[in-house]
Amino acid sequence: MSTPAISIRNLTKEFAIPFKKERLVAVRNLSLEVPEGEVYGLLGPNGSGKSTAMKIVLGLVTPTEGTTAIFGCDSRRVESREQVGFLPENPYFYKFLTALETLLFFGKLCDLRGSALKDHAYSLLKTVGLENAADRRLGGFSKGMLQRIGMAQALIQNPRLLVLDEPTAGVDPAGSREIRDLILQFKSQGITVLLCSHLLGQVQEVCDRIGILHHGSLIKEGRIEDLITLENQTQLVLENASPALLAELEKRAREGGATVIGEGRPKADLEQFFLRVTQFNS
Amino acid sequence: MNPSSPVHSLFSTRRIAALAHNTLLELVRMRVFYFILLFALMVIGSSLFTVNFSFQEQFQVLKDVGLGAISIFSWLLGLLCTALLLPKDLEDRTLYTILAKPVPRFEYLLGKLLGVFLLIGIAVALMSLVFAGVLGLREQQVLAETARSTPPADLAQALASIRASAFQWNLLPGIALIYLKAVLCATFTLLISTFASSSVFTVLVSVVVYLVGHVQGIAREYWLGGGDASPLIKVLVALVALIFPDLQLFNIVDEIAVGTVVPMLLFWKITGFGVLYTLVYMLVAQVVFSTREL
Repeated sequence: MSTPAISIRNLTKEFAIPFKKERLVAVRNLSLEVPEGEVYGLLGPNGSGKSTAMKIVLGLVTPTEGTTAIFGCDSRRVESREQVGFLPENPYFYKFLTALETLLFFGKLCDLRGSALKDHAYSLLKTVGLENAADRRLGGFSKGMLQRIGMAQALIQNPRLLVLDEPTAGVDPAGSREIRDLILQFKSQGITVLLCSHLLGQVQEVCDRIGILHHGSLIKEGRIEDLITLENQTQLVLENASPALLAELEKRAREGGATVIGEGRPKADLEQFFLRVTQFNS
Repeated sequence: MNPSSPVHSLFSTRRIAALAHNTLLELVRMRVFYFILLFALMVIGSSLFTVNFSFQEQFQVLKDVGLGAISIFSWLLGLLCTALLLPKDLEDRTLYTILAKPVPRFEYLLGKLLGVFLLIGIAVALMSLVFAGVLGLREQQVLAETARSTPPADLAQALASIRASAFQWNLLPGIALIYLKAVLCATFTLLISTFASSSVFTVLVSVVVYLVGHVQGIAREYWLGGGDASPLIKVLVALVALIFPDLQLFNIVDEIAVGTVVPMLLFWKITGFGVLYTLVYMLVAQVVFSTREL
């Protein structure tokens, strides 16, 4: 079995509260593994410990108990970050730098240099759709553009693992869809993704597995289909069905001992509707 | 084309250089060099103000104002820029993005500090050029006036006397010590910012340290003199004398300004003291920052 991309074992993190004896437990005995190539969604309400767990994985915070490792390398070791690209929530970069300068700066922090770095930076700007903004300072970027440059800097050293904290926060639906498509593209390239998001619809679209944190504990984990499928219910979607046919089906269902819980017309989700309308009118 | 996979090195001068360059760029693009204009105005103003004085007095006032202003401006620049750096990176979360890359915390601190050192160096060099330029210009004016009004028999001696009062190369060690003092104070400011919760707190504490540093010599002399104070007071005084840098040592610049030739041994002793304290503060800053929860 190959080494997992992320391995968290019995992780607990407590924070001291100033002038009080008690301590705040942000993460409680958390254990989980993310195999290489998987897109894993870490979900939970605000204050559930997601960000703390993520910071420990990235070596930014020291655990009180337990261990975390990235591709087998202890997160507390600097070299564990060689394989990680991180996009923080609402990323703020140096506003005085241009998009290209930002990528070159982060590339140099990964010991990259020369024309290879510059070429790679330009190619990443193209990937995230910012090739025309290469020489613009980040101070004038919209939230969506900042999110995209954040994604590009996360990819600068070709990491095997991407940690994305609310990658679509504040981004318009079209931008959000582009980021979703990028995540799917990473997945197809075999890049492991740890995704924290409140947009459950998007998580459902891109994640292979999810874990739900609540009060610092992992309360549910598994494949999305397994977690949300209602085993005792069946959905039948018909096209051009007459009222008579529907009545007949309902009658047969009752006769067969089933209960018809609901009936109605399926609807496209609002995101699809929005995109269809805006693309049609643009 | 993708860059080739780098091999991680525990210490990378390239990463530190990238951080230092970025810090310098940040401060330059914040237009901090505008204060040089203020400095130039001060020096030129003092030059105009003293036109009715004797040439010795004119040059002395220019040297006092010039070197004093270089000292204050370089200290202030180092203090304010350093106090901003770390809290700003923390508040803007740029620190997370940087430290999520394979960058050890000591490299981050070192890079930031070197960026400030470079900035102070450029600022001191620019101010020194303005100062030397104004002094040189005034010297030329006085030389020309003297050449017109002095009898030929006394001219050579008069011109030599003017040249001896104007810009002398022995001012350079003084400027070097001013730079070192600003660097030392900036490092102490960085140390405070590694545990401070705000830039305002960092600035306030740094100003207090600066003031204490100028009276620290008195505490040390009291400690070494073994006065009749209680042991507790003596320990406190000893701590103050050890923890705070003796900034009074750098006031030797005042002696240099009046033309006193400072022995090189003394210059190197003060330099050694400044470098040692800078290194110790840097080390303590690293220890504090490496244990800080982000």
